[in-house]
Amino acid sequence: MNLSRRDLLKLGGAALAGASVAPAGARAQTPKRGGTLSIRTWDPPHFDPFGTISYKTHIALSFTHSRLLKHKAGPSVVPGTFSIEGDLAESWTQPNETTYVFKLRKGVRWHAKPPVNGRELTADDVVFSVNHFLTVKGNANAYMLKSVDKVEAVDKSTVKFTLKEPFVWFLDMLANPHAVAIVAREVVEKYGDLKKWESVIGTGPWMLDSYRPNVSLAYVRNPNYFLPGLPYIDRVEMTVDEDNASRMAAFLSGKYDLGWEFPGTINRVDWVQIKDTLKQKRPKLQTVEFVAPVMSHISMRTDQKPFSDVRVRQAMALAIDRKAIIEAVFEGVGAMNPAVPAALREWSIPFDKLGEGARYYKHDPAEAKRLLAAAGYPNGFPGTMCFTTYGSTILVDSMQLVQKDLKVVGIDVKIDQKEYGAYIATCFYGKFDSMTYGPQTGFLEPDNFLFGQYYPEELKNQSHINDPVVADMLVRQRRTFDPAKRREIIYDIQRHLAKHQYYVQMPSGVYVAVWEGAVKNYGPNMGYDYGGRLMAAWLER
Amino acid sequence: MLRRYLAKRLLVAIPSLVIASLIVFTLPRLIPGDVVVLMLAEKAYAKDLEELRAKLGLDRPLPVQYVEWLGRVARGDLGESLWTKRPVLEEIGQRLPLTVELALLGLTFALMIAVPVGVISAARQDTVQDYLARSAAILGLSVPGFWLATLLIVLPAIWWGWRPVSGFVEFSRDAIGHVTQLLLPALILGIATGAALMRLTRGMLLEVLRQDYVRTAWAKGLTERVIVMKHGLRNAIIPVVTLLGTQLPQIIGGTVIIETVFGLPGMSRFLFDAILQRDYPVIQGVNLVVVSVVVLVNLAVDALYAVLDPRIRY
Repeated sequence: MNLSRRDLLKLGGAALAGASVAPAGARAQTPKRGGTLSIRTWDPPHFDPFGTISYKTHIALSFTHSRLLKHKAGPSVVPGTFSIEGDLAESWTQPNETTYVFKLRKGVRWHAKPPVNGRELTADDVVFSVNHFLTVKGNANAYMLKSVDKVEAVDKSTVKFTLKEPFVWFLDMLANPHAVAIVAREVVEKYGDLKKWESVIGTGPWMLDSYRPNVSLAYVRNPNYFLPGLPYIDRVEMTVDEDNASRMAAFLSGKYDLGWEFPGTINRVDWVQIKDTLKQKRPKLQTVEFVAPVMSHISMRTDQKPFSDVRVRQAMALAIDRKAIIEAVFEGVGAMNPAVPAALREWSIPFDKLGEGARYYKHDPAEAKRLLAAAGYPNGFPGTMCFTTYGSTILVDSMQLVQKDLKVVGIDVKIDQKEYGAYIATCFYGKFDSMTYGPQTGFLEPDNFLFGQYYPEELKNQSHINDPVVADMLVRQRRTFDPAKRREIIYDIQRHLAKHQYYVQMPSGVYVAVWEGAVKNYGPNMGYDYGGRLMAAWLER
Repeated sequence: MLRRYLAKRLLVAIPSLVIASLIVFTLPRLIPGDVVVLMLAEKAYAKDLEELRAKLGLDRPLPVQYVEWLGRVARGDLGESLWTKRPVLEEIGQRLPLTVELALLGLTFALMIAVPVGVISAARQDTVQDYLARSAAILGLSVPGFWLATLLIVLPAIWWGWRPVSGFVEFSRDAIGHVTQLLLPALILGIATGAALMRLTRGMLLEVLRQDYVRTAWAKGLTERVIVMKHGLRNAIIPVVTLLGTQLPQIIGGTVIIETVFGLPGMSRFLFDAILQRDYPVIQGVNLVVVSVVVLVNLAVDALYAVLDPRIRY
């Protein structure tokens, strides 16, 4: 099935309906304390939130650490939407375009572990954490708060941020689970960095009780959590399970309460195989489908020939048979992506509004050949494509289809396969000669997809784009506080980019989020914030 | 005499170990990919590459690094992991017992399958039992362990909702649970080795059973059980023991996949992760331990000959 924009909207509706039916009942029930939730996880490389971009670490810390803000979670939240609410911040104001003042909740206490031993959190802790985030060497996420000029504690429970320039996504950055986990100065001073599991001390709903490398993590309820009565679940057990067959067997036999893949989903290829068996064995399972934010694209040296010619890029876009890719690698269920992935439903432009550029998302090899001939390449041209597998067969399959499609119109692509580390150090940051093919991080807001990839000289501007029209719009959207007006600018950016095809976007798959019916008041969504989504859930076993 | 023989063998083992150490040191460096790039990949500050390379001592010529490493090894120091910063020996020490346990259980299963089936197959040559046993052995040799493991994990879960224990259970926490969780992986490990041993047991026993002294035993009116078990098997088993020694590296190799599939935090899975992360001291350390174990086991096998066959004198 190839999802149109309309189908997608229906899917979102279904997702919402699916999510709201069970929880509507759940809302009528009284939340129940206790029980153990069991999840499959990944072994974190370490536990320092400022030392890695690894989802393995950030998922593990989503249970134990608070942020200033967080994304609203729960069954009423439509997957792919991310409204913001306070986490440690009780409220906030914005006196002017570059100043934000946060009032912290009173009586927030650190986990009852040394060296903090449950002392009260203060504004100084927030200031320390933000400064540490911005200055510690090797924090690849530091760019998220690049706009911050200074952060200061006004009093014990007030924090003031001053930005260098207006940045409307500032609150989204603070709410993002990749961003600042609030940590205590004493813990950093005691442990140096925060890599050891013993240093996992936050103010979050659960406390890390034990960590067995490559085996498991266990969390216990934080009895002093600042939201009274929460969390409901006493214990969360996370099993490191590196083998898909083992994970599938464990899920079939009822061991895991959430789907075993990120973020609580089951890969469609596995889902298709086991869904009938699951209906018999686990009839209470709940499911919701939503488009994945992970999108691969072809990036190319648009500052050099032949890719500097827009007709060449348009020809490449027309050469790709996206429907065939959806059929072949996503079991027939996927969504087409403009520059902002369809998964970000509030910001991704519907294809029927994309205008002239929409035609380049259709498969038309004859037109592609015509454009190549017009650009002076009647017989196509050879090129290399930098690539790493990420250990994903889906990615390898789609890359091979891309290679085949380009070959059909005369672009003879030689794959330059690199080892993961080498790929990230070079091609991911635009250091390649011809083309690169690979996925982008599944961000939760459009700015990361747009500014980082299209603004001149940005680290992730893989295609070496220097388009003043785009640059101007990118800056303008960052300064437009009215969401409706900002959306219009972001739509305009996507229209412009569709015509220019600086990157050739590939379709995304559709997640199948699955969870045990006994887990009440839970709603799946994208992102690393497992802890946030489970904080108000309870178990009705 | 045996002691002198063993001393001689140990001396011969030293050059073997030195050559093995050279291979063990060099091979990981031939794997494409650079640990320094991997370590800094997600941090995106490439200017620090050379600084880190120097800090890790990876900027010096390979022969220098090798000699230094060998010197440390001679002093019982295998270096420290580039990623965890903990001594390799300590890391191995924590994980080796599980791998040894798994390998020994695997060998036990192999013997439990191989000897009885091999004996029955030889004693009942060209009967239905023999054909069945030989077919099963070929199957056991042909089916890859990881595939068998996947089937044995997934199919029972689909059919009966049964799954093997996942999430490692330490012996100190639950002894029965600990042993139980190792049974299936050990069985899978033992199947291929068991099949090879079974074919050899059968072949050797058939050869022995055609010897004159066995015919004499039959003429004396001894029972089949005595002839096969006492006169036949004991003489047929020596090559089987030899093979058992050579099968050990295969079994340990098998544990790499089996430990990953069953989520067992043993030394082999540690090696697998180290290879992915290009953690050279760990790869070198683990391989050196494995090579040493194989050399020692083969030595023990040689010594065992004398016990099994009184005619052998050193």
